[in-house]
Amino acid sequence: MAKDRVEAGRGRSGKQVRPAAGASQSGAHKKKVEIRGTDRRPFYVLLGLIAAAAVIFIGWQMSQTKSMGVVSIDPNIKLPEASGYLLGNASAPVQILEFADFECPACGSFATLTEPDVRKRLVQTGQVSFRFLDFPLPIHRNTWDASMAAACANEQGKFWEMHDQIFATQDQWNGEQTNRPKSIFSRLAKQLSLNQSQWDDCYDTQKYKLNIAANQREGERRMVQSTPTFIIGDKLIPGALGFDQMKQYVDSAAAMAAAKPFPPLGDTALSKPPGKAKQ
Amino acid sequence: MTRRMIIAALALGGVGLATYLAMYKLGLIGTLACKIGHCETVNLSKWATLMGVPVAVWGLGFYLLLFVVAFMGTTERFANAPWVSHALLALTAWGVVFSSWLTYLELFVINAVCMFCVISACLVFVLLLLSIWEWRHRPA
Repeated sequence: MAKDRVEAGRGRSGKQVRPAAGASQSGAHKKKVEIRGTDRRPFYVLLGLIAAAAVIFIGWQMSQTKSMGVVSIDPNIKLPEASGYLLGNASAPVQILEFADFECPACGSFATLTEPDVRKRLVQTGQVSFRFLDFPLPIHRNTWDASMAAACANEQGKFWEMHDQIFATQDQWNGEQTNRPKSIFSRLAKQLSLNQSQWDDCYDTQKYKLNIAANQREGERRMVQSTPTFIIGDKLIPGALGFDQMKQYVDSAAAMAAAKPFPPLGDTALSKPPGKAKQ
Repeated sequence: MTRRMIIAALALGGVGLATYLAMYKLGLIGTLACKIGHCETVNLSKWATLMGVPVAVWGLGFYLLLFVVAFMGTTERFANAPWVSHALLALTAWGVVFSSWLTYLELFVINAVCMFCVISACLVFVLLLLSIWEWRHRPA
């Protein structure tokens, strides 16, 4: 161990030494540290222990990261796509996009009053294809739950059936009626003879939340600001349309040759041939 | 064991701590072993980077410099060099000022406390006390 030694003019050999220039001859600062002969081994051992502890800890942390970071996953998982849900033939001459919020009353009005005619007279006749994209508005408390209920029904091939039921029961599950809408959606799933446990698992894990968000983002990208909003050909039309208005836009789009088929988006949504669309 | 040796040993501990945080910030460690506080909130905040360099890397540089100076001060050549005591005091005083600012940010701006940052702040404070002690008994 090193020790401080007041040398008071004495060197290690005991001989008189001249004080350093400028150094005070008095006071506690006239110290020199005796270092030669000090056993430095404990110091080096301590440094070694500290360094070893740090290396072991960091190495262990890195090994934990490696074992937790690399896992096997399903290589076929797709990135979320803003493909929405398609009804009819994707290569129909006119495409109708609907950006809608399940909890929006105007969307419900369109779905129950106008859409049956659109399906029967435009989709089933092959004039148009109809694509629904979620556009959940922040003012509606239960709309995300509704979108997820529909997405989970789509997983079992019954999006449009669930879509219709959700709009038809809007007065029962909306955010002013309840803050626990799952029981109602669960009942609808049962009525549609869906595999209940699969639907529950899908709904509870919010399996398609990113897909819904992608649909919403697509609406924002296309300057959608309210629901429902329709895009027919090159026109963006806000508000619920009656059948005659929609037919005019469809005819106009068909006449313009500007109406081009949608590019294939890797659509995973249910696509029914025109003759089988629900009425 | 001299005061400078103790300072060097503690500074080496600080090097290990700062290396760990810097490796996390550089993406070499997935998650922090942070049982208390919100280390990731703090380390992912905009305050965790200063002049384009992660604060943990600045800390690593600080502790390395402190270790080198203190270690040099333990060698025969510099055992009686007063500048070592001055440098240790200046470095640790700056360290306490900087750590105080970081602690202020954690408590009142980020509203999250990082366990490792608190350990580092305590370590720097202890190093300052040791450096003051060393400075008061500095060689002539």
